[in-house]
Amino acid sequence: MKDIRFEGIGKAFPTRGGGQFVALDDVTLTVAEREFVAVVGPSGSGKTTLMRMAAGLDHPTSGQVAVGGKRVTAPGPDRAVVFQQFALFPWKTVRENIAFGLRCQGAPRAKQDEVVARYLRLMNMEGTEDRYPHQLSGGMQQRVAIARSYAIEPDVLLMDEPFGALDAQTRTVMQEELVRLTRREPRTTLFITHAVEEAVYLSDRVVVLARDPGRLREIVDIRPTRIAEGWDEMAIDAVMDLPSFTHLRTHVWRLLRDQIRPDD
Amino acid sequence: MAQLSPLERWVLTLLGTIGFFAIWQGVAASGLVSHNALPTPAEVLATAWQLSFEPFAGHTLLQHLAASLGRFAMGFGLAALVGVPLGLAMGRWRLLDDIVSPIFEMLRFVAPLAWVPFAALWFGTGIGGPVMVIFAGALPPCLINAYRGAKLVEPRIVEAAQVLGASGPRIMAEVLLPGSLPSIVAGLRVSAGLAWQSLIGAELIVASAGIGYVMVQAQSNLAPSIVMAGMLAVGVIGLALDVALRRTETLVKARWGQA
Amino acid sequence: MSAPDLSVQRRADAGAPAPPRAARRLPRFGIGRRTLVGALSLLGLLVLWWVLTTGTGLVAPYRFPSPAEFRGALDQFVTDGYAGGTLWVQAWHSTRLVLMGFAVAVVTGVPLGLLMGVSPRAEALLNPAFLLVRPIPPLAWIPLAIVWLGLGDAAKVLVIWFAAFVPSVINTWTGVRGVDRTLIAAARVHGAGSRRLLTEVIIPGALPMIFTGLRLSLQASWTTLVAAELVGAFFGLGRVLDAAYRDINPAMITVAMVAVGILGAATTRLLGEAERRLIPWRS
Repeated sequence: MKDIRFEGIGKAFPTRGGGQFVALDDVTLTVAEREFVAVVGPSGSGKTTLMRMAAGLDHPTSGQVAVGGKRVTAPGPDRAVVFQQFALFPWKTVRENIAFGLRCQGAPRAKQDEVVARYLRLMNMEGTEDRYPHQLSGGMQQRVAIARSYAIEPDVLLMDEPFGALDAQTRTVMQEELVRLTRREPRTTLFITHAVEEAVYLSDRVVVLARDPGRLREIVDIRPTRIAEGWDEMAIDAVMDLPSFTHLRTHVWRLLRDQIRPDD
Repeated sequence: MAQLSPLERWVLTLLGTIGFFAIWQGVAASGLVSHNALPTPAEVLATAWQLSFEPFAGHTLLQHLAASLGRFAMGFGLAALVGVPLGLAMGRWRLLDDIVSPIFEMLRFVAPLAWVPFAALWFGTGIGGPVMVIFAGALPPCLINAYRGAKLVEPRIVEAAQVLGASGPRIMAEVLLPGSLPSIVAGLRVSAGLAWQSLIGAELIVASAGIGYVMVQAQSNLAPSIVMAGMLAVGVIGLALDVALRRTETLVKARWGQA
Repeated sequence: MSAPDLSVQRRADAGAPAPPRAARRLPRFGIGRRTLVGALSLLGLLVLWWVLTTGTGLVAPYRFPSPAEFRGALDQFVTDGYAGGTLWVQAWHSTRLVLMGFAVAVVTGVPLGLLMGVSPRAEALLNPAFLLVRPIPPLAWIPLAIVWLGLGDAAKVLVIWFAAFVPSVINTWTGVRGVDRTLIAAARVHGAGSRRLLTEVIIPGALPMIFTGLRLSLQASWTTLVAAELVGAFFGLGRVLDAAYRDINPAMITVAMVAVGILGAATTRLLGEAERRLIPWRS
């Protein structure tokens, strides 16, 4: 397993007038091995940019990102990404989508079949393997995308608002399932979201960003409370009714609220 | 812009069709123009039938058509094989786009038929020369549509393939190609039309067999009925190609379109 | 908070507005990266041309001319002429024929397209003839035009007309059908008569598509003219191409091709300029 280190990350774009726009300013953050860290922040705080840098899809203008001690320069199969828009291959079946990364690695057919079967079972999707993505609901599509990422057994999982495009009910179910999956197969996870409850419920730590420029505001530790109260064994609605949960949620929410402007 | 009843539309369409042939027949039979210049529709059909069995300019009409179709397939196939991958790669990699685009834009203004002299000089007048002219005519739509298609593929899907470890060639074959297939097929249809037209042009100018050669020979013999029989054959084949590719296009859109 | 002492790390600047960053000017070139790479690419092509034909002689002179030979052929063409006329005479001959054929096609094709777009009756009546003639590529009319009118200018204009006619009609027709129905209804409600409806709503609405058709028509005109002149002509750039081919004079072939390309580009430019002036509302 590998950790993710953001060291003094800055990102600036030249603007038309010859000046520059600073999207991220001096962000230092470590996601430990097997730790689940959620990043929340108002739009424009650069949270997605942060994730894309860890994936190697975007590059900082100052500072550096290292995964497992190695500087990130390009995408690689040690880091899997789950996108908000699912980004499934529409012309491939569920089976072909999940097996894609393994095929890229040249895994034998038997191994591909085994992994596909395993994740279909884990994600409660047996019987859908020969369907095309457009024949599935949004929730099912995102399950395929998560399975596709897990299938390559990455050291690091990067999730960019994976449930942002789902309706409220589906979203709750998916959150519960993700908890089940991540506790069973913990991986170093960076989870980007703008939903406070989701962040508090899922993660070990919640990172709150501020904007203009995007920078670190506060890091809130959730894990001790979660372990002490045994959240993982409870249903999601029961967790969300706990006073400790409400307290943490309100704390994170207040950190965000004073940054929100009327035009958001 | 009132709507027509189906019956009215049907009657008018029939009238239009009959009218077209009636005017042709009338002008040809009236003696207004010399009979040597404009044969009647029936004579053109009879000539086409006759040419199917009796050789003209060395071969029967069917043999000439076979020669033409062979060149067409080669030139068109070559254009698709070069244009589609190049267009996809240009849509994916900015640097390649920046390098190739100005050269392509420059060459595009030269009419494909202007390549005939060089084509004949470099590859002869048999098969190579005409194939090169067809290639010049058919390449631009293949390349442009593949390029546009690749640009329109959802960037997240390309990134998903990248982070799953797909190599450049694999991204082209398994992501960009299927993702831009509707656009590519539309381009191939336009391209086939231009290829067919360039082929006729090339055969009119330099060739020793083929449907264009038949027409130019008939022109020197002042045999308009053979010229028009050739036009008929060219039109029928062109139409068949277009219909076939249109079908493919509909199929592809139905299969991949929901994406 | 569960563990307030360790879990919450506050940063010095947390919450406070960031100090404005000094606007740092990035080094800028007068031109964009794209233009620069494009210019380098064309320059590279020129160098490659010189290397292949002159520097190493890998490409034999009878296959493709060297830059010097190209220059020589151009000089000869401009001063002494080739295949019956100087560059200007031959270029003007071809351009005039293209413009004539194109003009005839526009003057006949656009009104016909308007008529077919506006009147479903006319459309139903004329469409069959159109469908029957359309699959025949314009170049296939060349032999018939020669049989009818000989190798002179009239045959060329006839063939260009046929070639440029179809795109003019089809795009005008499509453009008219694509005019927003609500706009037509709005004009009717405000009391516009048929004539006003046509000139002030339908034609302006269809104009972008009409110009798309004209661009295709112009392209077809050049292609057809070059082919027609190659098949048989007394003058023009196609005739020059043909003569240079028979003389095995690759330098002159190249000069003629470049001339055709430049004229095609220039006339397309002119048409684009006309479009910009006539459709000011389309940015």
